[in-house]
Order: sequence, then structure tokens, then C-alpha cells
Amino acid sequence: MFQTGLQLATRMTRIGVYVCHCGLNIAGTVDVEKVAEYAKTLPDIVVAKHYTYMCSEPGQRMIQDDIKALKLDRIVIATCSPRMHEETFRKAVAEAGLNPYLLEIVNLREHVSWPHSEEPEKATEKAKALVRMGVARVKLLEPLEKRRVSIFKDVLVVGGGIAGIQASLDLANAGFKVYLVEKAPSIGGRMAQLDKTFPTLDCSACILTPKMVDVAKHPNVTLLTNSEVESVKGFVGNYEVAIVKKPRYVDGDKCVGCELCTKVCPVKVPDKFNERLGKTRAISIYSSHAVPKVATIDPDFCLRLKTKKKDVCGKCAQACEAKAINFEQQPETVQLKIGGVIIAVGSEVFDASRMPEYGYGRFPNVISNIEFERISDASGPTNGKILSPKTGQPPRTVVFVQCVGSRDKRFHEYCCRVGCMVSLKQAILVREKMGRDVNIYVCFNDLRSFGKGYEEFYRRARDLDINFVAGIPSDVRMASDGSLYFDVFERGTSKLLEMHSDMVVLANGLVPSSDITEINKLFHASRSADGFLLEAHPKLRPLECSTAGIFLAGACQGPKDIPDTVAQASGAAAKAMDLLASGEIELEPLKAVVDEDLCSGCRVCESLCPFSAIEMKRETKIDEEKLRAEVIEAMCQGCGLCSAACPTGAIKIQQYSNKQVLAQVDAALAETKGGN
Amino acid sequence: MKASVFWGCRILTEQYAYEMSLREILPRLDVELVDLREAMCCGDPVKSVNDFAANYLGIRVLALANLTGLKDLLVPCNRCHFVISEAKHLVDTDEKTREKIANLLKEEGLEYNPDVMVWHTIDFLHDHVGLNCIKKAVTKPLKGMKLAVHYGCQILRYTDLGRVDDAENPRKLDELINAIGAETVDYSEKLDCCGAHLMLSHVDSALSLSGAKLKAVQALGVDGLVVSCPDCGLMYDTKQKEATSTVGAKLSLPVVYYTQLLGLASGIGQDKLGLHLNQSPVNQLLSKVSA
Amino acid sequence: MSLIDSMSMAKPNLKTRSKILAKLRGRDLVNCFQCIKCTSGCTALKLLELEPHEIEKLVNLGLVDELVSSDIIWTCVTCLKCVQRCPQKASPYHVIIALRNLAVEREAKIPEEFMKKVSQILETGLAESMQKVTTRKMETCDRESLKLPKLAGPKESFQAAFMKALEER
Repeated sequence: MFQTGLQLATRMTRIGVYVCHCGLNIAGTVDVEKVAEYAKTLPDIVVAKHYTYMCSEPGQRMIQDDIKALKLDRIVIATCSPRMHEETFRKAVAEAGLNPYLLEIVNLREHVSWPHSEEPEKATEKAKALVRMGVARVKLLEPLEKRRVSIFKDVLVVGGGIAGIQASLDLANAGFKVYLVEKAPSIGGRMAQLDKTFPTLDCSACILTPKMVDVAKHPNVTLLTNSEVESVKGFVGNYEVAIVKKPRYVDGDKCVGCELCTKVCPVKVPDKFNERLGKTRAISIYSSHAVPKVATIDPDFCLRLKTKKKDVCGKCAQACEAKAINFEQQPETVQLKIGGVIIAVGSEVFDASRMPEYGYGRFPNVISNIEFERISDASGPTNGKILSPKTGQPPRTVVFVQCVGSRDKRFHEYCCRVGCMVSLKQAILVREKMGRDVNIYVCFNDLRSFGKGYEEFYRRARDLDINFVAGIPSDVRMASDGSLYFDVFERGTSKLLEMHSDMVVLANGLVPSSDITEINKLFHASRSADGFLLEAHPKLRPLECSTAGIFLAGACQGPKDIPDTVAQASGAAAKAMDLLASGEIELEPLKAVVDEDLCSGCRVCESLCPFSAIEMKRETKIDEEKLRAEVIEAMCQGCGLCSAACPTGAIKIQQYSNKQVLAQVDAALAETKGGN
Repeated sequence: MKASVFWGCRILTEQYAYEMSLREILPRLDVELVDLREAMCCGDPVKSVNDFAANYLGIRVLALANLTGLKDLLVPCNRCHFVISEAKHLVDTDEKTREKIANLLKEEGLEYNPDVMVWHTIDFLHDHVGLNCIKKAVTKPLKGMKLAVHYGCQILRYTDLGRVDDAENPRKLDELINAIGAETVDYSEKLDCCGAHLMLSHVDSALSLSGAKLKAVQALGVDGLVVSCPDCGLMYDTKQKEATSTVGAKLSLPVVYYTQLLGLASGIGQDKLGLHLNQSPVNQLLSKVSA
Repeated sequence: MSLIDSMSMAKPNLKTRSKILAKLRGRDLVNCFQCIKCTSGCTALKLLELEPHEIEKLVNLGLVDELVSSDIIWTCVTCLKCVQRCPQKASPYHVIIALRNLAVEREAKIPEEFMKKVSQILETGLAESMQKVTTRKMETCDRESLKLPKLAGPKESFQAAFMKALEER
């Protein structure tokens, strides 16, 4: 059905040119009619048309009908970026019986109408030139075939918070094998640190722990806690991932979680799970509802591990009845063959010591919203009692200050999405725990309660006599007794209010996790301007990266609350299932190809390839032994570095040979003749 | 090392002690000061009248500094430092303004050189001369002295412009004071303004502002307040008595320039440092300096 | 016609608003979202009732004429706290300076000290005149008696250049 190269080489080509209006997106600047008219004057053009929406059904049908009726063998579509609809058009062309790689997309939107919207005449001339270039190139294109390769069906989920847990459960229930990797000693992530969740005021641990247990027990899930991704090789469907299991120095199979070791350990260390509000011991179980419930030793603090002396301390090993302590434990590397990856590494909380004017870090009574969660949680350092850090007494006034580090050009421009709802929740908790004995104020700029049940939650807060002060303080000051005071101008009354408080809670925003640069490198997952991971399209493809096979779930893609996180996680799982269910994928043929006769074995290409897709093969011919480059087709991304560097021109990218590119250059430099 | 120096107006016409103490202490730190060929205003009061003309004056200072051939310009007054820094930033980033001002300078045969570095007393001593050199010059450390520091506004803000120290948590002047043996005390009002600019239009309010801060500092029980700007010196030292009546409190707080203390710690005589000119009760503080 | 201030019946003066925006050079007036941080920390608020956020909003809406001839724009202490802490780089201080310049341009009533300083600079190069000071022992001193070096004033060519600069709008 598809024409062979030989057939094509022996006859003149029959080209169809289609110029898209793209509504007004292109036609608003470019005179599409004139461009189509101009195209008709080029050699070998059988037909040149223009239409409002080429990608629509009638648009596609028009091209297909012309291919059949006019026996067209090359198609040029002048439309939006190929990244939008090249796939669509390839399919349409293939359905009409033409090899889909005999199609050239000319970008009249991102390359012409959008950047040159102020100069329509020049834009039209440029459009004509680009079409001329496209026609010159399409003549030299060769028919190519996609290849199908089989893929691994297992999924790697990076990050064991609610996003990772939800995605893992969905995939595991659908029959996929999941490897859930979490760098902390326990899964649960940020949600495990919360006391209650808005707007239902569900106990966070109560709704989370069943899922944590489910995922740990699921026969299709392998839980790798205290572990990190070390390296990622390969490409979509064929990833080879190395996971490093950092030593706990405790045998997970033997430990029963009795915590006797913690009781006897002499070394106090800052408690990470409790946001450093209390101290734990060098050997401890990470959190109150840890899964797995296995102790871990922190090698930075443990006396025996730090000094590396066998006679130092060891009290935990003595106390442990299960004999689970193992100071000799080594890191273990696990090699996995993975089809797709879901990144769910979450986010961190803004460090308010970057805004010294609010006194965080200097004034004990100024705390962050995440610290408040730990204080409010019954399993936290104060057993759930709201106490002023300086005095240890219940505060008489609590003030929340919104937008700390967010909506701020000096730190993070974006709105953190959850800050308002978190403060509303925390304010309501203060009221519920302390009754009427406390004054509660929320100093805000805008109060954003946008989700389902959220506005009602805001009303609930007002019903509970929580006062909303429409204004943000410039700074917070501390009196000699540690209590706080500051001025805030209130918009509603136009009064300068002098506020006094025993506790100020800063609504610190969510910021990209400190791991994100590593993740960026390991998975080739791009970041957006705000620092979070970049989705393939903000509206239509929010669950995946532009790198095929990598999906995104949760706050790593942008700050969000639990409902949105869970939704996104299930969506990402569905996308992964979509990719992997059939057990094979198609590979684009636009890859590097080596002409063995020209290859001199110089290895320049091998050293340059960023995807490690070139191997040197030793060949013995008669009496010489030669090295020749060979492309690992499945890993090649068609970037063209090798082709540009090859001194003999032996390696080239399909559809991007020197001849093809130079033909475009010549066409670009030719004068626009004919038409208007 | 050599540096040119631009004094502004207030120091040359009234806050003599700041000039005297600087001229006395810098040779001890191996710094030679070169005066500009003429005395002029940096443009601070002109900013409210015509911002362009103020920028022209600021750049003219730099053009005069250029005539000395020296790369470093010391500007001891906070407000002059701000005006010149804003003018420099504007001219370095806006071609049109640079051209206009260059043309005006040309009429006097002057030229702007973007390579002249602008220093204030605090960063000049802390970063350029260095704390080690300061420590070496100290022969009579001010042991046991507890002081409160007032940096002033226009050398700390705004950070985008590149200022002398951190706007919310400045430490350089504290460290300079530690280097001469004294302790400093942090306090809530540390970053509050002395109000000097309001002397041009709302005198009572200006004195209320300075009075309120003096009251707060006095309550700390320190031996004195240290300043490093002639406008702040004017408000806290020279006009301390006037502020007293405005805030209705007995104000009796010694206020000195850092350079005066540095001079004392280096064994320079009180009169040479202009300590007889201070209007605040500095004798309380001087009695604590070991003979 | 889009809006009227129903108290003063003033309409937006978009031309002057554009002029002010052009003078702000990188300070982002239009992005002010009224968080009120500037006013909460304004040094001149308690004593002189200056509300920088209000000035931002009035200028943004184009209601500038009343402001230009008001006294309130002369209450700013220039402490720069609003510039430092504004999360949108909207900087009320720079807007106030622009309004002051307009007040001078329109010959509105302004505190007389400012123009006195300008005259002083034209005459002597300095904005202040030489003062005699008294020591705590009631002795009078001046620059000469304190043996401080004499510094020359600018030459005549400075006057002409400065006058030209003052004409720039």
C-alpha cells in the first residue's frame, strides 16, 4: 500500500498543500488565502487549499479525499506547531493509504502569526517562505515505518505520600506490579503529619492509615522505604532503575516495633516528623503510625556508627529481645525493570526564617502552620494541647498571618492554594479545643476557599467567632516576656489595630521539594517557572511529563490539597495503565541511522550522546578489525547531536539528512516569486 | 589604601564631630582620604521637587569622584548614599537618562565613570578595611560597654538596589562595635526611622518619632546609642532635648557616632573626636572608658 | 466614562496616571493587590495618617489630581519600609515622589523648605548653610575653629546645568 523509495525516486512527486486558518489564530495575522494561492505556483503542486480548522473532521477528510482522488504522494500542512497535531495528521494520512512520514508540518502559528501579530504583511511573506521550505523538504522525505517493541509492565512510584499510595493501590488493584519507593523510613508523607483535614475535619491519620496498611499488604506492591532512586536508564516502557535501600541498621523481618530500643538510647536527636518541636532518639520508629513499623538508626547521631568503634554504646542491641539490631548492615541496590514511572515526591513548606521581619526562628511564640499541626495532633509533642511555646501555657490570643512566602515577588509568586484553608481549619481547631477562652484572628489579603464545601467551611469559622482582619502586618515584634505585638491596618474599618498575641501562626506556602533537582536530572522531567514539575500541557495533559512514560501526581506538580492530590494520583495511575496494558509500544522512526561504509569508528558520536544510545561494535572483516557505531534504536531520541558532530557524515537522523535540511535552506533564501 | 570622600551638606555645615572622627581614625587604618574638588549637595531634598535633577546631582558627585582617579568613594551620610546609589542604578540601566545627564555634565567638562564604587562608613570599615585591621588598631577596648545600634533606613533599604547590609537582620555595625570590645543589644525598634526627613515639613512629628525611639532605647538600660549618619545624629543627639518635650519623657541617652567610639578605642583624644560637641549626655558614657 | 468618585465628583485622569507609571521604571504600581502591608508598617501612619495603600489605589484608578494638590503626599518620611516589604514591588514611596514632582510642576502649595533648599543649592552648591555649634561647656565653634579644611563651592557653570536639569519633566 505504501509507496517504496524506488517508486518515488523514479517519478515526479504530486504534492498537496493545505493552509489552516486555525480560526483566527493564524488567519488573524496571515493572509491564508494568499499563501494558498502562492503555494499553487510552486513546482509539483497538484492542489493548494485553505480551510478554517484543518485538524477537524471535515478538514482531515478533505485531505484524505484529495489523496485518493488526486493520487497525491506528499502532503504539506501549514498549521499550528507539530507538537499539537502532527500525530493526528499522520494518522489521517495513513488512513488514506499514504505513508505517514511523507507529511511535512509547517508551523504558521507559533512561528508566524503569534510572534508577528503586529506586522501582518511581513508575516504573510514569511508564511509563504516557510511553505516554500516545507515543499522543498517534503519532496525529499522517505517513507518510514513505526516499530513495535515489547515493554515491561511494572510501575515505579516515587514517593510514599497519599499521592504515591493512591496511585499504587489503583495500579495494584488493576493487576500491575508496583514498586513504591519512599526516602523516609515510613510511608505517609505530609498527610501523616496532619491532625485533621479540611473541610470535613476528618482525623488525618484515621483516613490515611487504612490506605497505608492496604498498600503495604497488597500482593502486587513492593514497598521500598528508607530508599532512594539512584539511577535511571532507558526510555518509556524499558526503564532500568537502580534503587538504593539505605541501611536502617535494623532487620525489618525481626523487628516487632516494641520501641524498647528507643527507651534505652542515650542520644537525643531533633524529631523530624514532629518538625523539630521535640526530641526523639538516635534509634526510633519514624512516626506514630509508621508503616512499616520498624526502627531505624540515624547514622549521623548514633554513637557506635559515628565513631565506628565496636565497643561504644550498643544499648539498643542489648535491649532488643528480637535481636533485630545490625550495626553492620550495608546499603543494598535493587535493579528494577520498569515500564512507567509516577513521580509523587510532594512538596515542602516555605522556611519563614527567610522573612526575618516576622521573627520566625527568633521568637519562640512564632510558629509555622506545619508546626501547629504537630502541636494540635494528639500524637504530637504536646499530646494535642494548644500551648504557647514560650510559656507552655494555653495562649489567650492566637493570630494567623496569611501568604507568608507566597504571592510574593521576593520569594514565590504563586498562590500556595492551601494556605487559607489550612489556617481556617487550624483556627477552628483552636476554637474547638479551647472553647471561648481564646481570641482568634486571621490576618489575610484574600481569603480563598474555592473547593467543594470550602466556602461553607469559611462560614463555619465565622460562626465560631473567629475574627477576620483584612490586612497583613509589616512585621511582628516581641515584648520582654516573649509575647508578640504588631500593628496591622484593617481595610474594613480603616483603623490601625495594635495586636497582642501569645501565639502567631504563619501560613507558610508550599514550595518545591529540595529533591526536585535530582528528580529533574534522573527522569528528564522538566520544571516550570515556579520550580514545580512541568506537565505536558497545563489544561489537557496535567498528569504526565513531556518525557514519555513519566507521570506526575500530587504536590510535586504544583501545590494542592488532598482531594486534588488523590484525584490526580488516580488519574496518573490510569494513564500508566493506558500506556502499559497492551504490553508493547510503538517507536517513532525519526532516529539516528549509521551508514556502516562511512563510519570510521572515531567514537565521537558515542561520547556525545546524552541518552547513551550509541554502542561501538567490533567487526572483523578479512584481516582488519574495525569499530563501528550502532544505534540502540529504542533509546535514541533523535536529538541530532551525533549527526551534527560526525566527521564523515556516516550517522544521520531519519528525515533530517544534510540534503533535506539544505534543501530547506536553499528554499528559504530564494525570492518569493509568483502570487502576491 | 586611598579613597575619595563625599561629605554631603549636613556633615560639612553642622555635624562636625562625624567628620573630625573619620578624618582622625582613617589614617590609623592606613586609609588616605582625598576630598573632592568642591562641596555640593547630593540632591536628597531635590528628589521631591524634580527626581531627574536629583539624579543629575547624584551622578555629578560620581563625576567629581572620577576626577580624583580613585576607584573608591566613601559617602558617610546614609541619605547621600541612597540618592547616589539610586542615581547610579538608573543611569547604569537607562540609556536615555544616562545620555541626558552625560550632556549636562559635559557642559562643565565632567564625565561619569561607572567603575567608581560607592561605600558607606559601615561597609567601608567592615568589608573594605576589614574587622582584623580594626581590631589591630584598638589599644583600649571598650570592655563592659553595652550599646544599642541604629543603622538608619536609607543604607539598609531597599535590597533590590544593593545596600550596605541586610535590610531585616543587619549585623555589620554590631560586628564593628564588637571589634572594639563592646557588646550590642538587640531591640524591637532597631529598624525604626529617626524621622529626619520630616524636619522639612512636619517638625513636631519628626521629633515625636525620634523621641519615641530614644525612649525605647533608654528603657533597655544601655550605655549609649550608636549612629552612623549625620541626619540620625542630628535627630538623636543634637535635638535630643527638643524631643524630650515632644514625647513628655526625661530623655538622657548618650548618642555617639561609631567613628567617635572607634577613635576612643584606638587611644585618640576626646576633643580630636569632637566628643565635646555632642549635645546628648555623653559624659555618662565617657566615664566608662578606661583611662 | 467609566467611573466617578461620588464624594468629590472627580473623574480618572488617565493621562497623568500614564505619566506617573512611566516615571516608576520597574516599580509595579498596577500589580498592587492591596495587601496593606505597607500601611501596616508605615512610619508616618500613626502621627500623620499617611496610608500608602490608599495612594497606590487612587493613582491606579486615575484619581490623581486631588492627591497632587494634597498635603498627605508630603507626610512620607522616606523610610523605605514599604519598598522593602511590598510583595508585588509596587513601592508607594516611588509613587509619592512622582506625585510630589507633579505638585511642583503644577505649582501646587508645597512645604516651603523644599524650594528653599533648591535655591540654596543654586547659590552655594549646598542645601544647608554653615552653622555655629555650641559645646556642652557652652563654647561656640565653627568649621574654622575646629580646624576642618575649607572646601570650595561649585563654579558658575554648575548653576546653568542645574537649572537645565530642573526644567526636565
